Amino acid sequence: MRTQGSLLRFVWYIALVIIVILALAPLIWMISTSLKPETQITTTEIRWIPETITLENFQAVLDHHAMLRWTMNSLIVAVTATALVLVLDSLAGYALARMHFLGRDLLFLLILSMLFVPIQITVVPLFLLFSKMGLTDSHVALIWPVGATVTGVFLMRQFFLSVPTELEDAARVDGANDLRIWWSVVLPLARPALTAVAIITFLSTWNSFFWPLIVTRSDAVRTLPVGIAQFMSLRPGMAQAAQAYGQSMAGAVIAALPPVIVFFVLQRHFIEGISMTGLKG
Amino acid sequence: MPILPRQNPSQGQLNEGKTSSSRSSWRAAPYLFILPYMLFFVIFRLGPSLAGLGIAFTNWAAVGTPKWVGLGNFEAMVRDPLLKDAVLNTILFTALTVPLLIGLGLGLALFMNQPYRGRELGRVAVFTPFVVMSTVVGVLWTWLLEKDFGLINVTFGLDIPWLVSKDYAMLAIVMTTVWWTVGYNMVLFLAGLQDIPRELYEAARIDGAGRFQLLRRITLPLLAPTMFLVLMLTIINTFQVFDQVFVMTSGGPGTSTLTLVQYVYTTAFQFRKFGYGSAVAVLLFAILVLLALIQTRAYRRGLEGVTE
Repeated sequence: MRTQGSLLRFVWYIALVIIVILALAPLIWMISTSLKPETQITTTEIRWIPETITLENFQAVLDHHAMLRWTMNSLIVAVTATALVLVLDSLAGYALARMHFLGRDLLFLLILSMLFVPIQITVVPLFLLFSKMGLTDSHVALIWPVGATVTGVFLMRQFFLSVPTELEDAARVDGANDLRIWWSVVLPLARPALTAVAIITFLSTWNSFFWPLIVTRSDAVRTLPVGIAQFMSLRPGMAQAAQAYGQSMAGAVIAALPPVIVFFVLQRHFIEGISMTGLKG
Repeated sequence: MPILPRQNPSQGQLNEGKTSSSRSSWRAAPYLFILPYMLFFVIFRLGPSLAGLGIAFTNWAAVGTPKWVGLGNFEAMVRDPLLKDAVLNTILFTALTVPLLIGLGLGLALFMNQPYRGRELGRVAVFTPFVVMSTVVGVLWTWLLEKDFGLINVTFGLDIPWLVSKDYAMLAIVMTTVWWTVGYNMVLFLAGLQDIPRELYEAARIDGAGRFQLLRRITLPLLAPTMFLVLMLTIINTFQVFDQVFVMTSGGPGTSTLTLVQYVYTTAFQFRKFGYGSAVAVLLFAILVLLALIQTRAYRRGLEGVTE
């Protein structure tokens, strides 16, 4: 780049600016719309900064929809599921990587084979299972199936394979048992892998839509993605549809901003987590 | 969106497991370690998968007992015009979306991998939409694509009825999906690019290779495993597209955006045809396995080409 000089660099930065605008403009427009009064939303004049800034859309959304309840439900489900996955997957991943037992490789193959089975095959049996137990429309129905995901086990196993054994051996010589070694030697070492698994699990549970759509029925249990989808019960092209856009955008902002802010703060971990899951596994 | 790890069967990772405990004596600890996960795995993943496969061979409405019909559902599928639309739409969606997600994802990664200031901002910006939940993306783009007041039509002076026209609805879903997920592919490609040793470039540059040659002779061949992984993930994900479609069009107008997963949802949980819905899910599974086989073969052949 140095040789071609400043012209190339100029083109380069123009391209960067265009990319950043294309990526972020929709989100900025969402925030902008959510702050406009209805009369200024349905207009063909583009105003990125609203003429009058109002919180009435947010007020209306919070009044008419169980927005906070859905958010709480999403948090409860995503946090619990993530904790569950971290415990189950670090135990199982450790056993699969570091312990020798009959059928280990076969078991691992069996777990991996489920990567290709789409969850759509499992939803009818899962739905019947939970309705037999009287647990449809419950947090349990949203959390438990997450505990059986394959990615986390795979990631944890791959990570443990790469950790040197010396520390464990030393602990074993000192008389520590397996559980003790797992808890005080292995888990602290595995923090990068645990972070990656936590981020992946949290994000995918937080965003999960298909299964929650099927299994939830009441606002007391419904998660944010399913609740947000309700906003669109007014179809585009319908007479009142336009009127709902201010509130839709307010709801979308409430649902989008927390993860986006967390992402901006933790983006290094996020991106590392994703590339690790995708590749370094 | 499901996120899958890399698996590379050719590396023989299955046998890599080192053991630090004694091999000869039987110990309960490994089984106790893996038991909790296996319980969840069998009850909520393996079991339901097998059961779903079984239910696909029955006629089962929400009430009553399932009736074994053998291949009946699959025979019915052949004559089902809605299913035909769903399959064709899903293929169309994949055919339109995957090249964009791969091409743009790779292009963005190459761009953001160059040494210049501001690239961190670029990476974060491109990845940000992926952090937004799918249904919010759907709601947002429904507004952006609104015919009279939507940002896209207004900005570009268009008058396209994106979501209410059979000709444009699928295109609208494709645009939405690319905006939403291209950052994810970019990050995967970036990770792959960073795995390529710098020395290779330096050596080639000393030999007088130009920028384009570096890309063609070093970057792209060495990126082949990443490319394979990203292609697999992207195809698997696009074939299971649902969330955006459900929010933006619910499969309409007409059947123009009806996709396979949308059809599974509609038949099983709206019309309560559990058997038929499961059969459609099995069809989806079969397609995914077939695609994986084709890709793995193509990948092997591609690798042989590179090593020659």
